[in-house]
Amino acid sequence: MENLLELKNISKIYGGLKALDNVSLNVRKGEWLAIMGPSGSGKSTMMNIVGCLDKPSTGEVFFDGKDVSKESGKKLTELHRDKIGLVFQQFHLINYLNAVENVMVAQYYHSMPDEQEALEALERVGLKDRAKHLPSQLSGGEQQRVCIARAIINSPQLILADEPTGNLDEANENIVLDIFRRLHKEGTTLVVVTHDPEVGEVAQRIVRLEHGKIVSDRENEHFTD
Amino acid sequence: MFFRMVKGTFIRQKKKLLMIALTVALGASIATAMLNVMLDVGDKINEELKTYGSNITVVPQSSAVISKLYDTEEEDDDAQTEYIKEEKVGELLTIFWANNITDFAPETDTTVTLNNSEVGLVGTWFNHKLEFKKKGSVYTRDTGVINLRSWWDVESGTMLNEQAVSGDKYAMIGRELAEEKNIKAGDIITVSRDGRNEELEIIGVFESGDDDDNMIYTTLSVVQRLTDTVGYIKKIEVSAITSPEDELAIKAAKNPSLLSGDEYDLWYCTAYVSSICFQIQEAIPEASASAIRQIADSEGKILEKTELLMSLITFLSLIGATLGISNLVTSGVMERSQELALLKAVGAKNGQITFLVLTEIIFTSILGTIAGYFLGYGFAQIIGHSVFSSGVEMSGMVAFIVSVLIIFVTLIGSIPAIRMLLRLRPSEVLHGGH
Amino acid sequence: MNKKRKMFIRMIVASLVRRRSRMIVALLAIIVGATILSGLGLIYFDVPRQMSSQFRSYGANIIIAPESDGDVSYEKLQKSITYFPSNELEGYTPYRYENSKIHNMPVTLAGTDLGSVLKTSPYWHIDGELPAKNGEALIGAKLAESLGISKGESVSTVNTFEITGEMESIDIPDYEKYTDPETGETHCDHTLDLTISGILETGGSEEEYIYISLEDVEYLTLSKRGYDIVEVSVASIKDKLSEYTEKISKDIDGIKAKLVKRVTASESSVLSKLQALVFIVTAVVLVLTMICVATTMAAVIAERRREIGLRKALGAFNSSIVGQFMGEGLLLGAVGGILGSVLGFLFAQYVSQHVFSSPITFRPLLIPITIVASVIVTGTACLMPIKSAVEVDPALVLKGE
Repeated sequence: MENLLELKNISKIYGGLKALDNVSLNVRKGEWLAIMGPSGSGKSTMMNIVGCLDKPSTGEVFFDGKDVSKESGKKLTELHRDKIGLVFQQFHLINYLNAVENVMVAQYYHSMPDEQEALEALERVGLKDRAKHLPSQLSGGEQQRVCIARAIINSPQLILADEPTGNLDEANENIVLDIFRRLHKEGTTLVVVTHDPEVGEVAQRIVRLEHGKIVSDRENEHFTD
Repeated sequence: MFFRMVKGTFIRQKKKLLMIALTVALGASIATAMLNVMLDVGDKINEELKTYGSNITVVPQSSAVISKLYDTEEEDDDAQTEYIKEEKVGELLTIFWANNITDFAPETDTTVTLNNSEVGLVGTWFNHKLEFKKKGSVYTRDTGVINLRSWWDVESGTMLNEQAVSGDKYAMIGRELAEEKNIKAGDIITVSRDGRNEELEIIGVFESGDDDDNMIYTTLSVVQRLTDTVGYIKKIEVSAITSPEDELAIKAAKNPSLLSGDEYDLWYCTAYVSSICFQIQEAIPEASASAIRQIADSEGKILEKTELLMSLITFLSLIGATLGISNLVTSGVMERSQELALLKAVGAKNGQITFLVLTEIIFTSILGTIAGYFLGYGFAQIIGHSVFSSGVEMSGMVAFIVSVLIIFVTLIGSIPAIRMLLRLRPSEVLHGGH
Repeated sequence: MNKKRKMFIRMIVASLVRRRSRMIVALLAIIVGATILSGLGLIYFDVPRQMSSQFRSYGANIIIAPESDGDVSYEKLQKSITYFPSNELEGYTPYRYENSKIHNMPVTLAGTDLGSVLKTSPYWHIDGELPAKNGEALIGAKLAESLGISKGESVSTVNTFEITGEMESIDIPDYEKYTDPETGETHCDHTLDLTISGILETGGSEEEYIYISLEDVEYLTLSKRGYDIVEVSVASIKDKLSEYTEKISKDIDGIKAKLVKRVTASESSVLSKLQALVFIVTAVVLVLTMICVATTMAAVIAERRREIGLRKALGAFNSSIVGQFMGEGLLLGAVGGILGSVLGFLFAQYVSQHVFSSPITFRPLLIPITIVASVIVTGTACLMPIKSAVEVDPALVLKGE
């Protein structure tokens, strides 16, 4: 299968500290990949580089066959606007915009705001009836679902989730994972960064990071489609 | 632990607290500068109003009334006029409000013959060095008409400087008279009266815009010799800084003895023109002092208006300053809701959190207020020097008012934020992202 | 594009409306700044005019006198008065001085327009009333004391005419003629009975005169003539005053108008200090207020760094974020400017009514100036924190560091 993302000998150095040390990783199109590891293992750095929010100190990043590690900031902005959907642990909803408006913000920067489409995205995460609520009126799980709706609205090639269930209880965690499953079936490439085994173990492929290096990379034998 | 928490927030929130301190400092500096200027503006404008000349005249108790307008009547004046002893002039500086007396000059006027026609001659002090006794010590003070006739334009020659010339045979002449008699600066004229003659050198020609343009001004001693009244004077012009008249002053002006004891004390210890006149009469019993209404009333009116104007402007700027401060305190505290919610989540009680927040804010405000006070001092001095060419007197009261105001405003500004904090549920904030 | 603009407006409106408390904080700061600018601005420009009329309590600042011997005729006075703009002219009072006798003592009578005298001498203290009709008189306190006259008394002023050969032929039956035994001249006495309506206290030379109406003077002296001097009170600056006096002296023969230097010179010096005071106070307060507005705006922006980071992560270009936040800031600036200029006008009006008891001169130009200034100040205050906020790496902000 074709690679969507190729990381070649990536290192990232903050001050004197090596957050990532000569890491190489390929992500295939349509794959559901979990990146796991304890805190300080370099997960967040990995996530930033995969999401094109940051550039590696050395090494190359190919996205859809194109080398993006030397691109300018503006080109990178365009890239993660057009091809990547982000889901955060802290949700990061704009607190003065209601659910549907938060989704529309992503459309606004991507192409054209369309309330109907945004409502459909909310429907896909089961939140159509909460569309006019402000983030403060939504539960944590609901906020995270708005965040996912925002991530999928522009039909990205890659959805990148950073500890998506870190602030959620079990019931909400399951709802979120169900949505991921559905997205995976629809053919979306998913990269989930997490330290939670329950979230990691449902992925198709699991990569384990420690001290900035990949210590294991295996297909999940328990993966059920 | 508490102090470690406070210390912790100070280090972590350095920027935020610095901003609050900065705003408090700005607000405090506005308040300090404006209050000081407001409190001092009366004195400053009062000094400026001294350019209108004297506001009190002192004449002998029973001086004759009929005088000057018609020259013919001057002849028998001397017989009726009583005099004040010249040595008594220094007594002016012993009264309660002596520090408010900015200038004064004794005067004796008469009519003399100059080139076969009669002209008015005024003898006075120009810039006399007066020695006077107060509480047993001897002081000196420069005083005279130089400052009491600030509107004079010296058209040719110079103003007579008594201390720079030797002897007393000098004079200044009014413009119209000088033109009429064709007298220029540097000329020597002879004036005579009752067979006594004086030769005077004209030092300068002045334009006054009033009757003085037809007069000659000379040193007091010349006129005393001409009128044979050495050691005596006819009148003293006094320029004093006064407070605007109010009801008490009006009541007192009618008859001070009708005031109650307290009213009398208040009146006596306020720089009303009437109480200064009263004190002058106490110091020089043979004299009668009265306000020159044209000057004294107008001064009062203008002072009152200026002070009112300044106090309203001050009021507006205080509102501005307080709003600015309470604004920033509110938003500063609100911004930290997440951190404070964390404290709540780990079991801190509402009271403890409130105490923590208030301690930080008040400590920051105190630092800001101190900085702001000195900044405001600077602004007040800039205002004073650029407008009045003299510094603004700093009142200790202002420091007190400003600190109370700032503490009050800071607390008021913290109220909405603290109320919000107390309502806060930790889970919401920590999960809510913002 | 239309949908995009709609979303832009929707975001700004949502930000302003749903973040109400923060926006009110920022708006209040801007309103206070704008109020101070427009209020103090109006006062600053109006102070010379308002104060100038307060300074009229010093009385006349121009006098009109005959050029040489003679008098100022009624016609010439009327003509010269037209040289003063009517909105500046506070009043004018003509005086005609005559000698007379009361209780056989020589006195000076001043015939004047008793209706307008307080306009040019507002500092007169009158114990009693101003004369309301002919036959009443106001007497100076010193004169009253020396003559032993008190308020409410009636006195007679007597003018003595020498009857010359020519005059004897005139029939003057009302007057008692008598012959001076020493000189052999024939005289007649003309008497005017006066009721003293009030005693005048000024502390100045006015206390030595007795003031009556011009008609009474004409009756007593049996002669009609012009005025010895006219006092004029004009609320204007010194330069304009000297312009008026020069024109009058040049255009009208036989009279000259002069500035009362003591009043005009001192007034312009005090007035310029006062205006300078208001100016520098306005400047200092304004600068400090602007800094306050700037810090408030900076604080408001700073607390939205996370939102800025998120928008960047969603693919917003820096220019787009700056555009949105500036849109908010400028809108706030404009709204604050409009409200502030209205409040400033109300403040200036209150001050003017309260301090000077007259309405403030409305200067329409100050409204656009205030709005533009508050938009500019708010805009600049927003621009710098926004610029620095969009430079921040979104990854860092979103991690909550």
